[in-house]
Amino acid sequence: MNKITIANRNNTIFEVKGTKPLLSELRSQGLDLPYGCQYGGCITCAAKLINGEVDQKSQVALNNRQINNGYVILCVARAKTDCTFDIGVESHDNLYRNPFIDPLAPHELKADIAILKDNN
Amino acid sequence: MDGLCCGPGYASPSEAVRATREKLLYTIAIYTGTGIQKPDYLATIDVDPESQNYSQVIHRLEMPGIGDELHHMGWNACSSCHGDEKMTRKYLLVPGVRSNNIYVIDTATNPHAPSLHKVVDGAKIKSKTNLSGPHTVHCLGSEIIISFLGDAKGEAPGGYLHLNKEFEIVGRWENSMGDIPFSYDFWYQPRHNVMVSSEWAAPNTFMPGFDLEEVGHLKYGRRLHIWDFEKKKPIETMYLGEDGLIPLEVKFMHDPNSSHGFCGAALSANVIHFWKSKDGKWEWEKIIDIDNEPHPDWPIPVPGVMSALLVSMDDKYLYINNWLHGDMRQYNISDPHNPMLTGQIWMGGLLGKAPVVNGVKVAGGPQMYQLSLDGKRMYVTTSLFSTWDNQFYPEIRTEGGVMVMIDCDVENGGMEINKDFILDFGKEPNGPSRCHESRYPGGDCTSDIWL
Repeated sequence: MNKITIANRNNTIFEVKGTKPLLSELRSQGLDLPYGCQYGGCITCAAKLINGEVDQKSQVALNNRQINNGYVILCVARAKTDCTFDIGVESHDNLYRNPFIDPLAPHELKADIAILKDNN
Repeated sequence: MDGLCCGPGYASPSEAVRATREKLLYTIAIYTGTGIQKPDYLATIDVDPESQNYSQVIHRLEMPGIGDELHHMGWNACSSCHGDEKMTRKYLLVPGVRSNNIYVIDTATNPHAPSLHKVVDGAKIKSKTNLSGPHTVHCLGSEIIISFLGDAKGEAPGGYLHLNKEFEIVGRWENSMGDIPFSYDFWYQPRHNVMVSSEWAAPNTFMPGFDLEEVGHLKYGRRLHIWDFEKKKPIETMYLGEDGLIPLEVKFMHDPNSSHGFCGAALSANVIHFWKSKDGKWEWEKIIDIDNEPHPDWPIPVPGVMSALLVSMDDKYLYINNWLHGDMRQYNISDPHNPMLTGQIWMGGLLGKAPVVNGVKVAGGPQMYQLSLDGKRMYVTTSLFSTWDNQFYPEIRTEGGVMVMIDCDVENGGMEINKDFILDFGKEPNGPSRCHESRYPGGDCTSDIWL
């Protein structure tokens, strides 16, 4: 069991088994969370990880900058340790950016097209 | 037709132009991606100027769950089965781009308060047809095809779902996707045995938002595809290159004998005109090129983002939008090779030309629009797609979408914002929602196709 603390919901704590993605484990315990595609492709359920570690290798929605900013796709992510999150659109301050004003560096693209710095 | 039958729609485009004026409008409004934990809904809007509820939402049909992202929709039947008196234009099919569900909504039992008739389950569509990311709905005689942008895992190119008239899954419509890399919109013109499809991107690419770099990595489209409609397979590709980056909406002329059609390339902000030449060859040309505009906060000029396009029922005018600039334009296309700009209005946008319309602050820019059959009234909304809205117009979260009505001069050309009509979706009972596509119960300028 891992403890999941929701910082922007008065530090409410949930216990999860890790057998299902965080979205379904937390929703089944009554936490109201946004979601869309439920397969890791659409970013609607993104939350910001403040502490802890997750496995979200099956997500395909986030680019590397969003991952580096702590975003987690809850519909496919599972907790590997105790975690603290901010949830909902209040946590999306760094999720969206104007792509013309603030372009991505090659290593910040999505994993399938990112050019890692070490390979340059 | 002889006037003794008939099924839905009209015998011809010229008959449609003379139809009764619309009194109701069905418009999609979304909460997906807004932070409000409520279902998306279909709003019924009173557009009868004689009514005391004119310019108001009079009914809201909530979907059963949250997170669909309702987007485009279409009718179960249109003028393509005008000769079939057993058919009626009764049901709106409303897909959820993110959930993959297709909602079949009964608008005939009580046109003011539509009700949910059936849900075609998104998971079942995935398991039976390996499709996700539904977009354009067209009826096909009495049956229905819907373009999907991805496979069950959200990867391109997707394909076409075929539903029968009971809204049961028949399977995939197409016999082959050929080497098509992406899907999006489509329109067909049966007398030329042709369908034309365009390219957005894979759901996994566009759903999370727009990374400009992915255009360079060929994750977004730049082609149009010509299909053998009867054989249900693509036969030719038009490579548009830099002139046609992200080609979105495709429309043929309404005259069923015409082979002329148009596509708006969103990122290039160009209109592509295509037609069949006298020797039977499909040709294309760029006929409208909207210049990028300088902006004090942008390192590069702002592209128009021409996300939609519409042809009036009499085939005289082409309408386009520039979502980031904030303008709508009307072109006379009597000569489709040489469009003439005849009207323009501003509402919202990033260039600051019209931040307030009829007393309402406009978050977003002109994005989706529907034109009355007589061509005189155009209803325009401001939201594109929740994640893209959040990138370019973050204030739309708290301000919601807006619907504006434009009076269009069909005789001499010209557009003017109607001063008596405004609908502020920022004031919806559950909080600011975002309005998107609209349809009229009696048919409109993006629904009907003639066999």
